[in-house]
Amino acid sequence: MDVAIRVSGLTKQFGRLAVLRGIDCEVRRSEVVCVIGPSGSGKSTFLRCLNGLEEATGGRVDVGGVSVHDPATDLDRLRAEIGMVFQRFNLFPHRTVLENITLAPRKVRRLESAQARERATALLGKVGLLDKIDAYPNQLSGGQQQRVAIARALAMQPSVMLFDEPTSALDPEMVGEVLAVMRALAGEGMTMVVVTHEMGFAREVADRVLFMDEGMLVEEGAPAQLFEAPRHERTRRFLSKMLA
Amino acid sequence: MEQALWFGWFRADIIAEYAPLFWQGLRMTILVTLICIVQGTTLGLAIGMARLAEARHAPARQLCRYALRWPATVYVSFFRGTPLFVQILLIHFAVLPVFVNPADGLLISGETARHLKQNYGAFLSGVVALTLNAGAYISEVFRAGIQSIDRGQVEASRSLGMSFGHTMVQVVLPQAFRRMLPPLGNNAISLLKDSSLISAIGLAELAYAARTVAGAYSRYWEPYLTISLMYWVLTLALAWAVRKMEARYGRGDSR
Amino acid sequence: MKAARAFIVAVSGALVALTAAAQPKELVVGSSATYRPFAYESPTKEIVGYDIDMIKAVAQKSGLQIRIVNTPWTGIFAALNNGDVDLVISGVTINDKRKQSYDFTAPYFEARQLIAVHKDSPVRALKDLAGKKVGVVTGSTGDDVASREFGKNSPNIRRFESTPVVIAELANAGLDAAIGDNGVIAFRAQEHKTLKTVSDAGFSKEYFGIVVKQGNKALLDKLNAGLAAVKADGSYGQIYRKWFQADAPALPAQ
Repeated sequence: MDVAIRVSGLTKQFGRLAVLRGIDCEVRRSEVVCVIGPSGSGKSTFLRCLNGLEEATGGRVDVGGVSVHDPATDLDRLRAEIGMVFQRFNLFPHRTVLENITLAPRKVRRLESAQARERATALLGKVGLLDKIDAYPNQLSGGQQQRVAIARALAMQPSVMLFDEPTSALDPEMVGEVLAVMRALAGEGMTMVVVTHEMGFAREVADRVLFMDEGMLVEEGAPAQLFEAPRHERTRRFLSKMLA
Repeated sequence: MEQALWFGWFRADIIAEYAPLFWQGLRMTILVTLICIVQGTTLGLAIGMARLAEARHAPARQLCRYALRWPATVYVSFFRGTPLFVQILLIHFAVLPVFVNPADGLLISGETARHLKQNYGAFLSGVVALTLNAGAYISEVFRAGIQSIDRGQVEASRSLGMSFGHTMVQVVLPQAFRRMLPPLGNNAISLLKDSSLISAIGLAELAYAARTVAGAYSRYWEPYLTISLMYWVLTLALAWAVRKMEARYGRGDSR
Repeated sequence: MKAARAFIVAVSGALVALTAAAQPKELVVGSSATYRPFAYESPTKEIVGYDIDMIKAVAQKSGLQIRIVNTPWTGIFAALNNGDVDLVISGVTINDKRKQSYDFTAPYFEARQLIAVHKDSPVRALKDLAGKKVGVVTGSTGDDVASREFGKNSPNIRRFESTPVVIAELANAGLDAAIGDNGVIAFRAQEHKTLKTVSDAGFSKEYFGIVVKQGNKALLDKLNAGLAAVKADGSYGQIYRKWFQADAPALPAQ
């Protein structure tokens, strides 16, 4: 199937507050989509609706043809196909790096310990942290923890990867190492949706950029077009603030 | 038996005379405490999770609220809101006879009931009351412990496709447990001391032995000082065990 | 101002001292009011019973003011020793062990131990209870009897804090039998239609006495004088008939 994620008329209310006001968009296979916008625009909520961490008040989201918010859907199974990386890493502090990465594959995919370990070592090699395989999360720097988190998500071999401001909680000198991993992943053809403030990354790696403001998808387009010649006033204003 | 005076006034002979009772009492107290710690913790875990049960969609949503959260809340409120002493008497003289009765027991009757009641009646009532009581307090410890775990942990686990069950067992509970050890330890110690109340329904444990001696000789220092020391030693042993557990589970902690 | 205040304080103090001296000291009587028909709480929260009527009669005859305080059996002797109560009347059997620590008046009631069992029990005597679960009140004469017969550390002896609890346990089939003072056991057994009483010829006659702190001869003499008067003028017989619907047995003078 060519369309990995389809969003139609997605709305989300928190009580009386309308956080998402009807979003329509599609993400194709192997596409890298970056979502940018001011705080409170609803970008994180939008991302979290894609794997059901947030309930939709209206509209629908289909991932790989399966509706995320339908009560009849086996959400656990669907989530195994969608990897998520969080702003605050959310590694399991009581487990080693190896155990963090192998836990879900063993429990959900029913992998043998040896197989799971193989997969983990391969992924750790990719993100450059093989030497930390037996360390505990609290012994790692922020950048290292986030790279482990990415490896952990990839261990489930998902078809889609979601990133919720993956570098926002990192010290500046560690942002680069994480972005490098994400760039490599994009290069391998992973379908990615990335909520980020890193305009440089968006410009260089994204196939498409979505600008959100006040719960609506204001503008979308190829990075070159959106960054050089934004069509909407709001986009212009946001970009001038960010890139000043 | 001739008087054996320690420090010129402590009549150790009356304790020695009733030594078998004290010894049996000690064993009974330890037995009751251990059983109730295990059962109380299990019950507390179940009730604690019932208090947090939630579902997104009907009918599971209503089921969670009325069949799980509500009853759990009422249970906790009752058993924390009434004195343990009253609970023990209620269960022994009112509740248990309904179920175990030679004449018309709902659960067990006839000769089995008589045998059960005579040989294990007080033990049964005491253990049931203490377990229900402890379960209520411990459930609050579990509830608070589980809720104190950062939501991000649950989100990460579920996002990986792990079920609710796996998330609880592999991610949440191991982390919560470490935090809950100190209050759980306190509950265990309370249980040990609360077990003395079961002497009121005639269970031959430590406090019962002391009461017997006091009743026979009208002397209070000897028996009560003796069991105070015994309870103290038991408490210290329990506290030591809890500390050992805290040390063992302390690796890789997050702050 | 200061002088006026001092004057008022002095006068009040004098008045209090005078009135206190004018009235006889009120004696506190300890009784465990869960021992019907000897001492128990009526629905109107008054403490009543055979013991209460007797002590009131004795006090009246010897010119003593008394106040009755409900004291739990477990601590009643401790209360006597540390002065919380001045005397105890609570179905206390006179025995040698207790005489070691306390002083008793002459007897005011003749007691025997009595066994309560289920209506269909084959038990006829104390020794029939061997191996059976027997309930008693902790530290009571029944406890002594059971301990002597079966061994004080016997696991078959179940001790409780008061007679109603023992009877409740018996009625619930938690026990085979209960041993206690005849007055109380007979009363409680007839409350439960499923129980009956059994007497053992081996149970000796025993007596209840009023208890005072060891060495309190002054009070002891007053109480004995009053008691003698109560027996002499027929009040004892009246009170006995009121509570037990039978003729009062003659009591020894000691």
